[in-house]
Amino acid sequence: MTKELIHATMATTQIHAERIAGRAAEETDALRRAARLEALLGDPYDPANPHGLRALFAADERHEPPAATERLLVEAGLGAEFVPAEFGGRLTRADLLVKVLRPVFRRDLALGFGAGITSLFATSAVWAAGTPAQRRTTADLLLAGGRASIVHHELAHSNAILRDEFTARPRPGGGFTLAGRKDVIINAAVSGTYVVYARTDPARTPLSHSVLLLEPGELTAAISALPRVFTAGMRGNLFSGLRFTDCDIPADALVGRMGEGVALALRTYQVNRCVIAATAVAAAGTVLHSAVRAATTGRSRPIARRLHKPLAGVFADLLACDSMATVALRALSLLPDRTHILAAAVKYVVPDLLRESLEELAGVLGSHGYEHGTPEYGALDKLSRDLPVAGLGHAGTAACQAVIVPQLRTLAESAWFRDAEPPPELFRSGAGLPRLDYRLLGIAGGGDFLAASLDGAAARLAEVRNVGGQLAVLADLAEAFVDELRALREQCRAIPPGAAALADPAWCVLSDRYSLVLAAAAILATWEGQDGSEPFLAAPAWAVLALTRIGGRLGIPLPELPEDCRAQVLDELVRRYRTGLSYDLDSTELAQ
Amino acid sequence: MEAEAARRITAPVHATGPEGPWHAVREGLARRGNASVFTTWGEWLPAVLADPVLRPLLGRDWPRYRQTADPVLRYRFVASRLAVKYTAAAALGTSPAQLDLAYKIGGRPYLRGFDQIDLSLTHTDDLIAVGISRTGRIGIDTEPVDRRLSFDLLQDQVCTPAERDTLAALPEAEQTAGMLRLWTLKEAYTKALGQGLRLDFSSFGFATGSSGDTGLLAPDGTPAAHGEWVFGTYPVLGRYLVSIACHDTGLDTSRDTAAATMLDEGFMAMVSGLIRTENPVPEP
Repeated sequence: MTKELIHATMATTQIHAERIAGRAAEETDALRRAARLEALLGDPYDPANPHGLRALFAADERHEPPAATERLLVEAGLGAEFVPAEFGGRLTRADLLVKVLRPVFRRDLALGFGAGITSLFATSAVWAAGTPAQRRTTADLLLAGGRASIVHHELAHSNAILRDEFTARPRPGGGFTLAGRKDVIINAAVSGTYVVYARTDPARTPLSHSVLLLEPGELTAAISALPRVFTAGMRGNLFSGLRFTDCDIPADALVGRMGEGVALALRTYQVNRCVIAATAVAAAGTVLHSAVRAATTGRSRPIARRLHKPLAGVFADLLACDSMATVALRALSLLPDRTHILAAAVKYVVPDLLRESLEELAGVLGSHGYEHGTPEYGALDKLSRDLPVAGLGHAGTAACQAVIVPQLRTLAESAWFRDAEPPPELFRSGAGLPRLDYRLLGIAGGGDFLAASLDGAAARLAEVRNVGGQLAVLADLAEAFVDELRALREQCRAIPPGAAALADPAWCVLSDRYSLVLAAAAILATWEGQDGSEPFLAAPAWAVLALTRIGGRLGIPLPELPEDCRAQVLDELVRRYRTGLSYDLDSTELAQ
Repeated sequence: MEAEAARRITAPVHATGPEGPWHAVREGLARRGNASVFTTWGEWLPAVLADPVLRPLLGRDWPRYRQTADPVLRYRFVASRLAVKYTAAAALGTSPAQLDLAYKIGGRPYLRGFDQIDLSLTHTDDLIAVGISRTGRIGIDTEPVDRRLSFDLLQDQVCTPAERDTLAALPEAEQTAGMLRLWTLKEAYTKALGQGLRLDFSSFGFATGSSGDTGLLAPDGTPAAHGEWVFGTYPVLGRYLVSIACHDTGLDTSRDTAAATMLDEGFMAMVSGLIRTENPVPEP
């Protein structure tokens, strides 16, 4: 009833009608494809299933890609998911892409990267800025089951994957001469296309790089393949190097304009960032599943008391991560010009939270955690190694901070406590959305719709605080995060303006706190966006627990956690474990 | 295995106060990816008493410092936080007061906004030790060498079956020393995971030889990791045992851990330029 109070101001019949229409089309179709993949991949815990966890873990142990499952994904037409519908594929929205991919990621994050999303990471520059001919050949490649490799340029504090870059010198009369060496490129030995972020200007400017689309088959002897590089995480994935020795590249290889490389990276990475975070949540769900198994198997009594906190806490964190990622994925469609900061914050927060989740679950799994390779308990070991590769570690988070830091002052001065709230369908699962269009993605500015939503949610909750119970605590939590945003505003304004001051380490501290505030805002907005069809998500318990944990990371004063919150979250966790449902906002039926 | 720890872990160095030696920390971090220092809180007392900027230095730890009534606990607390901040500042090339020492849910300290460095802190009696790493998680633990952990009383709680079997066959003095070493190693590993005593100590184990070097073992004594973890135990000041657990994610991270160079110039310049166009801000 209290929920209805809050939602009454937002609900309109028009949105309802749009929602039905929206779900009827693209979303229903995506959910059907996801269910088909789940069924094709089969029971992950069946030791005889060739696509089950035992087989996938064994391939990882052999440092090989899981060949049979990769074939299955090609036959199922996974490549079409990475090609926008207007170019002949099935990619309509980033949030729907994630729903389709989750069956793969629940089983094997590395497989989802190697045989999946890294091809999207590579080709997104073509969808954003390619010529019709480039789009056609790229679409044809992926639709036929081929792969594309992204060849990153070198970023600050680079690790093995981001280190080194290629140089493309413009040739008189057109075209480029490509030179350089890079040792760690995913799928370099098997891809049909390389999308190279090459340096085309030796000067250190934002126009220093350009994107080149290369087909290895058409290149001369000036290209040499370097040996495979074995990695501690994603052991089965094929990382290897490439060397170009003054290799002639035709002028029509250029994607977009000369010098557009950095801009294209900023434009397309925001999709990658949200997709990585949301699919990693699916992978972490499998570890949570194994932890609930460890806590319940062979036990007739309720789960041991000391395990309540980590189990309920991690489940709440997964829902928090999914809230943040889902809001951003939907915003890419609905508010494409202003999702860049949120996307960076998602990638900054989620992999870190998930890494902590795995460590917390290590304590629940105990010695089961060392039963490597077993379908029941092997997921912790594998994901603990794979996740840092997916998140790219410090270089990955620093790349996100580089997007947030230069914008904080402007947000503090002109966006926070001023911007209007976003359309409510942003937060409503099932509400129809525009298609994702890479060409519309902005890379700076546009204000802060999620901070506005936090402020709005806190105001609405304040009105129902006297209902008491968990709702009152939720209202207090919302207010605590608004207070934190207010403090951030003051601190951001206190640092002198100007480019030189951006080197002040205080900005990195502020961007961390700001990212956590956005996580809190996404949790509240997701809770508010519930229509009641999922009673657990519509009740405040999970949001209260998730916000309490985010607030704890911020070190801000918080209300006491109501006693019944953790129990309610734990009950739902066990219910999902017993009935075979996924540990995210979608609560999807899993193959059994 | 002994060579493995020597190759991969920088042995702890004595920091005698705010003067370091921080170059040793920077060198160890660049070469092996980790470094640790030990110090006694008395060595920081002059800095604590003289520093007029203690409040910004302590940041969110300031109220806890003010509320600690016992002067020894109070000075030890502030010395440990200063030791962490000075060590981290050496790695990041910042001043210690610019860093925000924050705490994760399980209590693990971290540097807010700077994930190029993981850190761990431990103290016992008057010793404080700090470990930092750029390759992954790090855990550090210390105990006085004369602390007697009874094998008879604690074996079920602390040891795996494999460890129990080995230690049971040793003379009592070696048993006790072995227990202390195992205890510090297990503390270091669980602190690296951010779990402290919440992790069941009998669910993972180490080789029970007297040397400091060992890999992570499952309860039955078989290897439990793939070489990502390395462990070392070091005698310190003749009175303490320090154990260090270091994780390597295998990303081959940058040797450069400076705060000033971490934000990509190209990304920053592009975003700043667009923001300036949209919202012209007068330069000072």
